[in-house]
Amino acid sequence: MAERVTDIGPPKYDKFLPPVIKDNYGKWKYHEILEPGVLMHVAESGAKIFSVRGGSGRLVTTDFIKDVCDLADKFCDGYLRFTSRNNVEFLLTDNSKIAGVKAGMKKLGIPIGATGHSVSNIVHTQGWVHCHTPAIDASGIVKAVMDDLFEYFGSHKLPAQVRIALACCLNMCGAVHCSDIAILGIHRTAPKVNHERLRHLCEIPTTIASCPTGAIRPHPDKNIKSVVINEPRCMYCGNCYTMCPALPVFDAEKGGVALLVGGKVSNSKTPPMFSKLAVPYLPNNPPLWPETVKAIRKILTKYAEGANKWERVGEWVERIGWEKFFEVCDIPFTFQHIDDYRWAYDTYRTSMHFKF
Amino acid sequence: MAVVEHGGKSFEVDEDGFLADLDGWGPEWVDYVKELEGISELKEDHWKVINMLQEYFKKNGIAPMVRILSKVTGFKLKYIYELFPSGPGKGACKMAGLPKPTGCV
Repeated sequence: MAERVTDIGPPKYDKFLPPVIKDNYGKWKYHEILEPGVLMHVAESGAKIFSVRGGSGRLVTTDFIKDVCDLADKFCDGYLRFTSRNNVEFLLTDNSKIAGVKAGMKKLGIPIGATGHSVSNIVHTQGWVHCHTPAIDASGIVKAVMDDLFEYFGSHKLPAQVRIALACCLNMCGAVHCSDIAILGIHRTAPKVNHERLRHLCEIPTTIASCPTGAIRPHPDKNIKSVVINEPRCMYCGNCYTMCPALPVFDAEKGGVALLVGGKVSNSKTPPMFSKLAVPYLPNNPPLWPETVKAIRKILTKYAEGANKWERVGEWVERIGWEKFFEVCDIPFTFQHIDDYRWAYDTYRTSMHFKF
Repeated sequence: MAVVEHGGKSFEVDEDGFLADLDGWGPEWVDYVKELEGISELKEDHWKVINMLQEYFKKNGIAPMVRILSKVTGFKLKYIYELFPSGPGKGACKMAGLPKPTGCV
């Protein structure tokens, strides 16, 4: 404990601001997107700051960070930032240097874009790289999807921005519950109970309380300190495994991807929305997840064709109706789409309004 | 699973140094963990926390919430950290031989 320093918090943000931003803080007049990936902010004083935005894999090496730092040193007086979708943004005052930054980014393999009505970076999670509860991988699927949708990253050809997010289990770390298109890892088998180890590894009451459907109860034999799972009640959320390591739920063959659509967080035009189930299950198919990639492209292209300008995916679906959405995207409507959890009643149709 | 030897007894532990077999707990275990946790000597207050955790676990099958631990022992969280520098979970529960805390810690 000697010489231990604690509770100092992060360094103050303004220590790292470019002087132009510091001088004009809170005094910006307007901004323009000069081209995909390049923004210009103009201050009341007339000062300008240019930002060149590029994608990153989020999971990067220190070498990558050193490389972007070198680039920032060379053109931006050492200033850069990361966005809330893990894009990297180079900040510079001299617009004659934009070409240099862009050439440097190209050399590092950093694609330029993610502004305006594009598909920006995918907010994603740990997957098989680091987590113990995932049903699917994160980085792998993200790479496969972004490869396929690359044309939308550095262009503004969509009706509105399309946010894609991925979470590798139902814990939904990140933004899947509020994204235009969401990729979610799901299990389809009940956890296996390790009766021998459970008592040593788990707090049984916590494990029982972790189940949203009440499918777990104490082992009927009083001498066995364990739990049993009522499989017809289990919907394979994996919550109990989070609490109890003796209940592994992952099954490589049975787990897979669910796709959700229509969420958004902004309040522009319509209130924020949760994303809703579109495709209940697609197989886990590393390394390229072709079924998932194909399904996402289909939804995205149908949306791009059908939506009005400024219309987000959720707004488009609400306008045309869900039955129409399933029809145009050619997604079979199954019983899994029908909500059956507690407050499900509100999601049923209580009207005669319906399109054949 | 690794096995550690201390004070003539052997303990089965997991990779984080928690007891793999709850029945294996003994005072020698506390003495062993003490060194790992950076505790120079065990005071009465340490034992008060350990005993409370064990009693609560025996009775309820779970580790107590931090606020309950504080309320029953009368020790504020700050003092619990002074006793167990790694905190009530990684420090005190490990010493008391309770299962490793789970969830998104």
